[in-house]
Amino acid sequence: MALSGMRGLSVFISDVRNCQNKEQERLRIDKELGNIRTRFKNEKGLTPYEKKKYVWKMLYIYMLGYDVDFGHMEAISLISAPKYPEKQVGYIVTSCLLNENHDFLRVVINAVRNDIIGRNETFQCLALTMVGNIGGKEFAESLAPDVQRLLISSSCRPLVRKKAALCLLRLYRKNPDVVNIDGWSDCMSQLLDERDLGVLTSVMSLFVALVSNNNEAYRNCLPKCVKILERLARNQDIPQEYTYYGIPSPWLQVKTTKALQYFPTVEDPNTRRALFEVLQRILMGTDVVKNVNKNNASHAVLFEALALVMHLDAEKEMMSQCVALLGKFIAVREPNIRYLGLENMTRMLLITDVQDIIKRHQTQILTSLKDPDISIRRRALDLLYGMCDVTNAKDIVEELLQYLSTADFAMREELALKAAILAEKFAPDLSWYVDVILQLIDKAGDFVSDDIWYRVVQFVTNNEDLQPYAAAKAREYLDKPALHETMVKVSAYILGEYSHLLARRPGCRPKEIFAIINEKLPKVSKPTVAILLSTYAKIMMHTQPPYPELQEQIWAIFRKYESYIDVEIQQRAVEYFVLSRKGAALVDVLAEMPKFPERQSALLKKAEDAEVDTADQSAIKLRSQQQTSNALVVTDQQHVNGSILGNQLGLVKMPSQKMEASTHNQGLTKENGAVSKVDPEPTPSADLLGDLLGPLAMEGPPAAPVSGEKNMISALEATPDAAGALALATVGDQSNSVQPIVNIAERFHALCLQDSGVLYEDPYIQIGIKAEWRAHHGHLVLFLGNKNTSPLLSVRALILPPSHLKMELSLVPETIPPRAQVQCLLEVVNLRASRDVAVLDFLYKFGTAVVSVKLQLPAVLNKFLRPISVSAEEFFPQWNSLSGPPLKLQEVVRGVKPMSLLEMANLFASLHLGVIPGLDTNPNNLVSCTGFYSEGTRAMLCLIRVETDPSDRTQLRITIASGDPTLTFELKEFIKEHLVNIPMSTHAPAPAPAPAPAPAAVPLQPQSPITPAGYTDPGVMLAGLL
Amino acid sequence: MPVAASAIYFLNLRGDVLINRLYRDDVGGNMVDAFRMHIMQTKELGTCPVRQIGGCSFLYMRISNVYIVIVVSSNANVACAFKFVCEAVALFKSYFGGAFDEDAIRNNFVLIYELLDEIMDFGYPQNLSPEILKLYITQEGVRSPFSSKPSEKPVPNATLQVTGAVGWRREGLVYKKNEVFLDIVESVNLLMSSKGSVLRCDVTGKILMKCFLSGMPDLKLGLNDKIGLEKESQLKSRPAKSGKTIELDDVTFHQCVNLTRFNSEKTVSFVPPDGEFELMKYRITEGVNLPFRVLPTIKELGRTRMEVNVKVKSVFGAKMFALGVVVKVPVPKQTAKASFQVTSGRAKYNASIDCLVWKIRKFPGQTEATMSAEVELISTMAEKKPWTRPPIQMEFQVPMFTASGLRVRFLKVWEKSGYNTVEWVRYITKAGSYEIRC
Repeated sequence: MALSGMRGLSVFISDVRNCQNKEQERLRIDKELGNIRTRFKNEKGLTPYEKKKYVWKMLYIYMLGYDVDFGHMEAISLISAPKYPEKQVGYIVTSCLLNENHDFLRVVINAVRNDIIGRNETFQCLALTMVGNIGGKEFAESLAPDVQRLLISSSCRPLVRKKAALCLLRLYRKNPDVVNIDGWSDCMSQLLDERDLGVLTSVMSLFVALVSNNNEAYRNCLPKCVKILERLARNQDIPQEYTYYGIPSPWLQVKTTKALQYFPTVEDPNTRRALFEVLQRILMGTDVVKNVNKNNASHAVLFEALALVMHLDAEKEMMSQCVALLGKFIAVREPNIRYLGLENMTRMLLITDVQDIIKRHQTQILTSLKDPDISIRRRALDLLYGMCDVTNAKDIVEELLQYLSTADFAMREELALKAAILAEKFAPDLSWYVDVILQLIDKAGDFVSDDIWYRVVQFVTNNEDLQPYAAAKAREYLDKPALHETMVKVSAYILGEYSHLLARRPGCRPKEIFAIINEKLPKVSKPTVAILLSTYAKIMMHTQPPYPELQEQIWAIFRKYESYIDVEIQQRAVEYFVLSRKGAALVDVLAEMPKFPERQSALLKKAEDAEVDTADQSAIKLRSQQQTSNALVVTDQQHVNGSILGNQLGLVKMPSQKMEASTHNQGLTKENGAVSKVDPEPTPSADLLGDLLGPLAMEGPPAAPVSGEKNMISALEATPDAAGALALATVGDQSNSVQPIVNIAERFHALCLQDSGVLYEDPYIQIGIKAEWRAHHGHLVLFLGNKNTSPLLSVRALILPPSHLKMELSLVPETIPPRAQVQCLLEVVNLRASRDVAVLDFLYKFGTAVVSVKLQLPAVLNKFLRPISVSAEEFFPQWNSLSGPPLKLQEVVRGVKPMSLLEMANLFASLHLGVIPGLDTNPNNLVSCTGFYSEGTRAMLCLIRVETDPSDRTQLRITIASGDPTLTFELKEFIKEHLVNIPMSTHAPAPAPAPAPAPAAVPLQPQSPITPAGYTDPGVMLAGLL
Repeated sequence: MPVAASAIYFLNLRGDVLINRLYRDDVGGNMVDAFRMHIMQTKELGTCPVRQIGGCSFLYMRISNVYIVIVVSSNANVACAFKFVCEAVALFKSYFGGAFDEDAIRNNFVLIYELLDEIMDFGYPQNLSPEILKLYITQEGVRSPFSSKPSEKPVPNATLQVTGAVGWRREGLVYKKNEVFLDIVESVNLLMSSKGSVLRCDVTGKILMKCFLSGMPDLKLGLNDKIGLEKESQLKSRPAKSGKTIELDDVTFHQCVNLTRFNSEKTVSFVPPDGEFELMKYRITEGVNLPFRVLPTIKELGRTRMEVNVKVKSVFGAKMFALGVVVKVPVPKQTAKASFQVTSGRAKYNASIDCLVWKIRKFPGQTEATMSAEVELISTMAEKKPWTRPPIQMEFQVPMFTASGLRVRFLKVWEKSGYNTVEWVRYITKAGSYEIRC
């Protein structure tokens, strides 16, 4: 720098440095700025020396953080000065003070261009640096060709070409169009032939940027890159100044390897061979040495090479070599190297199938789990989590459990979660799983989230063989002196449900179990108290006839909690108390919990959410995603083949995934805009269908008894004698007939108003429906989901269409494989208006039991309606023109379900009757207008007017007009059906077992004669009458 | 009484802690870092004396090259805190016998710690009177070489004085020559609009007294204030003398003044402490005699030139004169050059305060002076913000002039021995914030 000659500048700088405090400094700088202003304003002008001096001062002041908002013109004018010192300060100050959007920059473009195309190479370098540093769009547009010429020209010195390459890279990042000229890929490939390593390194940076955007165009450069790597790896023709600790230009090696990763594959066998040779050499040649710098350089090259190896899908041999190398790394004492080794192993694991090889290093990884450095422990945990499979799950989980008691608090939650997931995913048998989770809760109760224990409860509930074992285990844990609250919860729940299975064992009589659970009661928090109350109720239920002593004790507790401050607990206490007074009916009401519908483990979801993306945005990530899903499929099959008991576990994720795929297909096959309904993102759609599959699915068991029992209570009060038939939870009917889990009539009614939902469900199968209606066409998809682990055989589905519908069902497969879901398409065409309902006759065989159900299909009248919005001017002429029966019918309807006008409007909307507000002057009246579609009539306008009586909501007058007498009548009756009171708790119709009633178009409901007519679905009843 | 401080820090201008004392434990020991980070190292410094950072309030003031920072976390009495700081500084000064600055603090830190322990207890201010504290904190401060020599005094019974009827004066003082010096110091605050109308104007004054009197004298001071005169004429049942009377708005007295007598007779009578003290403070807002009139005209001629014309008139008596008159005319930040023409004094452009500074050493009464300047501005990159035109500021001192018109009518001294006293009275008016918008 030419500072030595400027005394004023050095005096100023030393003045500023000598300032005692900020205030003095500010004063000094303000003074100097005033001085500079005066000088710049001087009429006589400045000598170049002075100008240079003051501009340097300005820069210094600017760098100290003060605003300098003048003098830019002076700085810019220095750019065109003839001498180097002035030019230098001009360029430097311009690139510091101005940014790319500054208007002033336009002024300099020409001067800069002159320097670039000039012959003086120092000026060229200055100009290129400045352009690279500010390089806005305008610079890119006007200067890029010149920069390119400099880069290509052979007459330039390497120094200039290096700067030109980097400058072009910066311009390219600002404006990708600058290299969009034809033949630039040829230029690039020529440039890659460069012998000078400095230029080559700069060019490679540019090349990486270009290739990352468009690898196709630069395919011809691939062999060149391999050549460069070869040259570097063989250490041929590498000048001394480019070797770093004996490694030939590690920077260029890294960049070249990176560039190669952007190409999808290497097709040419020769090139591929050469490349692998080089990679081999890198892998062989790298080792851990003493010198840190050498390590850093060689490892950087190595890890890039590893990434390339993974990317290229190298042979197994090479992979194992890589893993062996990484194994060496993780055995090193140096933590940084160990960390890198573990991390890369995890990455390899995600991408390639090297699990077996990595397993050899399992002990080493386990030692890393005890490393003092937490980041290494985390990596080790990730790796263990990734490498776990059926064969080593037991060891790894055991190890994790052991480690849990000594682990860092920061890691425990993650550790617990991962252990739980691994145990679930790879459990060789379920009892082991239960053991593991209970141990987990015991050791790290604070870190076990609710999801984990919900999950174990779900498994126990769904597997009868497991129940005694789990209950015994829970009983054992209760004996421990200090118990975590989560353990109390899970033990209480399990013992409440299944303690009766242990009745013979010592210490497991109901009285004893009650006593030991009751010990915990004073010490637990409110949610646990709620669970304990349920447990007591369950214990009571299981001890029928009751022991008076035990009953008294439990009642005392219920009574105590009847006035508890927490509403939930209070309600439970009150309800259980009343219920327990029912005597034998208690058994029916508080039956065992039904099986949980299978759904994706909430844990897995949680783990997926928690996973942090460390891999960079490249092909690697994408591949890893694909790979994991494949891995899941593989493990699934292993389970199905391998184990008898554990088959439910591994499959956790499967159904939703298959369905996901199927929805996508379905979405594609639809021609109309329905695709938009299918959410393109996989996770939400999986969720959606997961919900479809399990409308009853409970997030956690505690919620179940409450909601179920609440219903029961209300029902109990209403119809005490029908209590036996009420339970939503399956009543302990021990006959082998299959009970539906859902209320069929209710589901049908709901589906009349919605387009998708569950039509039918029993312990073995779930039938979901998804419908789409277009004019008089209907497009229904039936989802037949096998909920079980063994296939459903002799599946048969027959459609019994009423006369007004044309229906066509696609082929239903004979068997539904375990845990799979099949779809059947059902096309419906409406011919005319009618309230008759189509019936699906469904039959399947599970084991020896034959199940046959008749299901009403929600292809009802309102599905062919489309609301029309009309104005008053259009409405009244139509209304008046249709006069008198049979086109216009009026009827007073009584016994209407009382509802507000808004609710009624909502009901109408869901019936596809478009309510038009404001048409009728009376606010108590509803007017709606809809179009009815059938094959014969196409669209037929229907006008409806409902007059309600605000004083008596149970009656109303309905007037309907349309151009077709049958339509008017049918529509009137249809609306009436939906308006009259429909009790929601109609009892679930039990489909008759094997001997099915005569197949007929008439109803399916074998109604029990004692059921009062008022409690059945009137729709169904009417359908029956017709 | 509300809390005044949780901690007190003495910092130098760089932000190093010279001395600190924590009085309550509701603030952490690292509070000063927050002060340094959020106040000292930003441009906020000096804009507002009370800042809240986190849950704590920082009250600070700068005295010479020391920042005194008070940290409180509760709802403190800010006025009390600042008063405490001022009093504490006065106390330190009387101990060191000279300037209060960084060096003085470094030299006397043992003494300061002792005093800090004494003058505040658990955040509540205690007795800050130097006279009394000197009785039991007898440690001598390290005096700066220029300060006067301490007088050798006998150490009388401290308890007697603290608990006695006249807590501020020792008995048995003897002076050869009994003298009383009275200084009336006023500062004028003014804000005038560009059109010449007065927006805000008041005078704050104080009467400083220096007593060298023997025994236990009883003094009585008469001023030409309205209430006192009326009361006097009432008592003496004769009409008040014609002449100018003034209305004092807020009056604060030294603790030695007998307030019951002031309330009943409206006379200021007191037994003075020995040495120098501030007898009373007052403020008036009505009938202020402004010593100077300023007539500025500032024209912006285009983007790069300005013309400034300032005419200053002195309106006090022709026999009097003002000293040290400084007129600061603000100019935009991008000022490059200024050329001046002045009728008296000297003017120049000061870039570090962005002002044209015009200094006149001696300004006789009933005269006027003008300055005209041409200012050249440099063009800047920043988008043109309109210049805010801060007000012109003025500094001056006018001896023997009171802006309020206050006069001492009499000062009577009674003592048992009936000695003769010599009384000296001085008046001076200074500029407070004397601002004229332009």
